[in-house]
Amino acid sequence: MSSVAQSRWTDGSMHKRLAARYAAERRFRAFGFAAVAISVAFLAFLLITMLAKGMGGLDLAFLTGSDSTDPVRAGVWGALKGSFLTIIVTMALAFPIGVLAALYLEEFAPRNRWTDLIEVSINNLAAVPSIIFGLLGLAVFLNFMHLPRSAPLVGGLTLALMTMPVIVIAGRNAVQSVPPSIRDAALGVGASRMQVVFHHVLPLALPGVLTGTIIGMARALGETAPLLMIGMRAFIVAPPQGVTDPSSVLPVQIFLWSDEVDGAFVEKTSAAIIVLLVFMLAMNGLAIFLRNKFERRW
Amino acid sequence: MTLSTALIAVLLIGGAAGYLAFTRAKGLRGAGQRLNSLPVYHAIHAALWTALPALLFLALWLPLQHALVDQAVLASPAGQALPDFAMQRDAILGEAREIALGLRPAGFNPESAGLAPVYQATMARHSLAGGAVAILVALFGAFFALRRQGVDFRARLSVERWVMVLLVGASLIAILTTLGIVLSLLFESVLFFSKVNVGEFLFGTTWSPQTAIRADQAGSSGAFGSVPLFWGTIFIGAIIAMIVAIPLGLMSAIFLTQYAPSRVRAWLKPILEILAGVPTVVYGYFAALTVAPMVRDLGLAIGISSASSESALAAGLVMGIMIIPFVSSMADDSIAAVPQAMRDGSLALGATRSETIKKVVLPAALPGVVGGVLLAVSRAIGETMIVVMAAGLAANLTINPFESVTTVTTQIVQLLTGDQEFDSPKTLAAFALGLLLFIITLILNLIALRVVRKYREAYE
Repeated sequence: MSSVAQSRWTDGSMHKRLAARYAAERRFRAFGFAAVAISVAFLAFLLITMLAKGMGGLDLAFLTGSDSTDPVRAGVWGALKGSFLTIIVTMALAFPIGVLAALYLEEFAPRNRWTDLIEVSINNLAAVPSIIFGLLGLAVFLNFMHLPRSAPLVGGLTLALMTMPVIVIAGRNAVQSVPPSIRDAALGVGASRMQVVFHHVLPLALPGVLTGTIIGMARALGETAPLLMIGMRAFIVAPPQGVTDPSSVLPVQIFLWSDEVDGAFVEKTSAAIIVLLVFMLAMNGLAIFLRNKFERRW
Repeated sequence: MTLSTALIAVLLIGGAAGYLAFTRAKGLRGAGQRLNSLPVYHAIHAALWTALPALLFLALWLPLQHALVDQAVLASPAGQALPDFAMQRDAILGEAREIALGLRPAGFNPESAGLAPVYQATMARHSLAGGAVAILVALFGAFFALRRQGVDFRARLSVERWVMVLLVGASLIAILTTLGIVLSLLFESVLFFSKVNVGEFLFGTTWSPQTAIRADQAGSSGAFGSVPLFWGTIFIGAIIAMIVAIPLGLMSAIFLTQYAPSRVRAWLKPILEILAGVPTVVYGYFAALTVAPMVRDLGLAIGISSASSESALAAGLVMGIMIIPFVSSMADDSIAAVPQAMRDGSLALGATRSETIKKVVLPAALPGVVGGVLLAVSRAIGETMIVVMAAGLAANLTINPFESVTTVTTQIVQLLTGDQEFDSPKTLAAFALGLLLFIITLILNLIALRVVRKYREAYE
């Protein structure tokens, strides 16, 4: 420690060192604040730009119309309906499968190689690029199983494979946070292990599972790349009537309009982005609300 | 009868069997005897035995029927008359299928119109057979389940075994998905590598996948050297985006966990989460509409005449900002995992807060932060929409951030969204690129997950 110069309180050098250290402290803190501020400012910049460019195009005709080559008549309803149908398919598949897998891994799985393999696949799948799921959907659902192209059914299947790991991870955390005493008490009065899990653990873990599911669904709602792969980029005028009709979805519609040369589509694109963001914010808000209202610290 | 009618019938029979079992179990109880299992378990047991085998059969029959129908149509006189050339025959068959299903009014090939009624009839025959078998299976299952009912019948145990199978099955879907990804990518990639040399693909430096319509056209072979694509991907995702995301994300996490008062934190954290929740197509549009022109003007202003409006810098900047919340939350987790005692020890020795963070907390949290950064890199190089909309298509090998580069994901989208035959090297190249991308992200993810897990264990 002799390399550090000796400072004394008497000649003022110690005060100087202290001042320098406090200045460094303030600089560090300011840098940290700046980092957060830049992120927030960017978000604000993005939102304001979209609002400024898109608000003018946001009217009832836009919300109820369908895609058109004429920017004046182009609307967002067909794509919105496609998005809803896709998300319903995704949720109907990913939610039960994700919850069941989470329950199995947390409550029943023996610790062995198979369980490790399942765990590694789930953790890895949660980080696999979404476009890879699109390639999977194209190869398996379209080319192998010959399901209809551009249909919400195929989009929902593909997105379900993508969101399932997210739900499993959230579900496992929620199941983990249910205290063991609940299980012990139920077992103590004679419940079977299945009854313990389905009558006691699952209801208590459900708010956490739902929060994770909603966040996963919000991500699926905003996903574009895998749906491009399975052909949901076709120009479709009629809103889909069922899950096997060809359809577009909102993010893909945004992507398609952003490619249009006609300058009037800038307003349409921005307005569609506002609609998408409103849905995303509503879903995320619901998730945060659920978390705050039902989350219990045991 | 279509298969969906059979599906509904199976479900109805299942419901009926369940109801029947329920009332019968209640009847047994009404006779004054004590049941081994509650009536509701009898009901579930009967419903499961009725519906599950039949549903399983339908799930297996669906793809099988497809192949059988194709075969039967080709064997019919109308099918025999089709041209021998496999690709053309398949195209006609596909069109006939779509006409038969009512998906399109007419095909490009005139033969398909004549084939459609044949197709429709064959398909009706096959679905009738499949549906009938499914209903028979359901009825047999219902009969079997109802016969087993009795006072001592352990319906609950049986149901719980079924549920266990369901639970294991649900967990296996993750493995099946991984397997499906690997197999489908490998299968198409092998086809691609039978047409294009592996060495040329991995180490070639020219990428121009345009295959010509006529064989004698200039540049008809197309060049599939993937090096420029991977350079572009790394340049945008692993270099520019990380230069933005690592310091900002790390400092945000430090500020939020160490400095911000809890009320400020309660506001700022959800805002960062919103930043993470914005769809990538929105970032992409914003990058192309606003950021890219600004970056180009900046480039021109500082005297770089080659500044492109599809610069690597614009895409990388926006991608970096998109990644900030991700890095921040990973860093947050690993900073929170550092034991409070270490922090207290450092503060007690007289270190300021920033000194404690820089010299004690960060070194202790470093493995976790590195793991998080690796995951962030894996996410950035797999990110698609931002680069599709804001980065270019020109495969340049350049280190000038104001020039345009292209990425793996951009090219996959580009290759697969045109109107090509599925077997052309162009579409197959997309799968080969996907395979490489999958392998790279897999390695990054595995390393990162291992690092994070090991690090967590170290302090537990």
